[in-house]
Amino acid sequence: MKLSTKLTLFITGSKLAIVLLFVLALPFLIKQIASQYTNYTLNQQRQKVLDIVSRNGLDYYFQGDDSYGSYTMLKEEFIALLPVEPSLKMDTIKDSQRLIESDTLNYRVLSYTFNNDNKNYLLEIGKTTDSINQYNKPLQQFALFVLITLIVLTILIDLTFVRILVRPLAKIIGTKLTNRRFPFKDKQEQIQTSTTDFKYLDESLILLMNQINEAFYKEREFTSNASHELMTPISILQNKLENLLSDENLDGPTSLALIEMMKTVTRLKNITKSLLLISRIENEQYIRDDEVKPLLLFNEIIEEIDHRLEEKHIKIFLNISPDSSLKGMNKDLLFQLFFNLVHNAIKFNRDKGEIFINDKYLNNGAYEITITDTGIGIPKDDLASIFDRFKKTNLQEDVGYGLGLAIVKSISMYHQLQINVQSEIGKGTTFTITFPNN
Amino acid sequence: MKVLIIEDEKTLAYEMEAFLKKSFYLCDLAHNFRTGLEQLELNKYDFILIDLNLPDGDGLDILKSAKKSNPDAAYIIITARTNLKDRVNGLDLGADDYLAKPFYLLELQSRMQAITRRKFSITEELLPIGEFNVDLQKRLVIFKEQQIELSRKEFDLFSYLLLHKNRVLTRVQLSEHIWGTFVNDDYDSNYIDAHIKNIRKKLNTWADTEWLETVRGVGYRIKK
Repeated sequence: MKLSTKLTLFITGSKLAIVLLFVLALPFLIKQIASQYTNYTLNQQRQKVLDIVSRNGLDYYFQGDDSYGSYTMLKEEFIALLPVEPSLKMDTIKDSQRLIESDTLNYRVLSYTFNNDNKNYLLEIGKTTDSINQYNKPLQQFALFVLITLIVLTILIDLTFVRILVRPLAKIIGTKLTNRRFPFKDKQEQIQTSTTDFKYLDESLILLMNQINEAFYKEREFTSNASHELMTPISILQNKLENLLSDENLDGPTSLALIEMMKTVTRLKNITKSLLLISRIENEQYIRDDEVKPLLLFNEIIEEIDHRLEEKHIKIFLNISPDSSLKGMNKDLLFQLFFNLVHNAIKFNRDKGEIFINDKYLNNGAYEITITDTGIGIPKDDLASIFDRFKKTNLQEDVGYGLGLAIVKSISMYHQLQINVQSEIGKGTTFTITFPNN
Repeated sequence: MKVLIIEDEKTLAYEMEAFLKKSFYLCDLAHNFRTGLEQLELNKYDFILIDLNLPDGDGLDILKSAKKSNPDAAYIIITARTNLKDRVNGLDLGADDYLAKPFYLLELQSRMQAITRRKFSITEELLPIGEFNVDLQKRLVIFKEQQIELSRKEFDLFSYLLLHKNRVLTRVQLSEHIWGTFVNDDYDSNYIDAHIKNIRKKLNTWADTEWLETVRGVGYRIKK
């Protein structure tokens, strides 16, 4: 999952959790607030009554009676003032029922006793519990609305910020990591960002890519130089041996020894030539503007390699469409590529084996050639390394110098072809070459 | 035939000289650009072999000026540089052939022979061998009036042996001639033997081929 997606999910998730918590707690909270507020107003009212009593005397309320009671029209509030036993002491706020004019109602009641002229009085102020909670619902709805608006607003702000924050990372990934073809030819641009972590990451990547490039160029240069330098001494060796061999007076053992030496020199020469070929391909010294007909190419290859097919009694089934044509190729290199594959298909085949060469167009317009043999197969562990230089697979056969497939790989890369291998031990191997957007 | 070998690698030049001498070519050596030019001023040559990489100049420049002083000579460029541009340049400047190092001296000699045949327009050449005649131009082996069909590779092999008759050719030399500069990693195979076997079989139907000898462990020879 992408970092920005993760952050988005986290931000939205955490905020939704908070909203949920708040929604669950809201009725309780509002009830608490309403109840606290009621207690507060009851106390305020008590204080007011006591102030009036101390200022104007109890008669202000009693007006000659010995007690006082009053309630509002809908009996939502009442007040009562009456004398009680001197021993009674109260200062409470409680929910209790009161009977007012034959209606039994639930009230929050403040009860308070106080002394006046050495007499004990009880003051009761009540408020119906229904009226206490009457604003809870609208209050809840309003709070919820405000909350959701705020949350949505913060989520939007957060997401915008996250997007801006993460943008350099996406740029680094886009320009440095995905769709990169080795070797990295174009110069690396630094990403503009004020986030030091990203800056550091970007700089490290550029450094790393430059180092890889440098190592690759050095290796390429070395291979090219070394192979060139080797050619002259190899020439000398080869020509000296040739001159020695053309001496008529040579005895049998000497000439056999010379032949062996010549074979070794030839082997050395071929390794050097292969390395040179690879380095020339990597140095892009070949022109890619031939149009190649695969059918003709394979016919040429089969003619060239016919003797080997006969030698091992191998049947080859060529099933290539005569209309297929490939553009922007180097014909010699393509010949070498498929020659090496067919050559391997023979070399690692069993006696009286078979080779199938097929082609097809894929749905996305790509063109594909497969070469399948009925040979010894390649062990799974070796599959990844068969294209490496000097890797010897199929050790029991002990043939080849491990460069044939390395050449195949560099030619494929040079033409931007995809190459895939499937193999089953004892059954055979299939090489698939895909020409994209042909 | 007079040959000038312009090659800065002395050992290599000596080996070329030694080989060509056996076929009665007269060789002069020049180990750098300057002496190469001097020799060209002083002498007339039939063949001029030029290494492109000289310590004091480019072989292609020698080719340019030599074309004036020795217009009738045949030029073969020898080089370790094997890129296409050099090859095209060399041939454009009038070189007759181009050999990439390392090459077999035998291959050099047969290229020289081919150039000679071309220069002197030996077109109706029929090489006799045993009771057969070989037409190199039409690539035919003829017994009396009968044409014998050899495959392309078989004919290449057969004519190469014939052009170098009385010389033992090794399997590596033969296969390199047939395969050219093509990169191929497998020389131990007995496919040269298979080709020879086929050639013998085809020719033996008509007449004896004991002149085509197997030299045990070494290679083949046409003896005459």
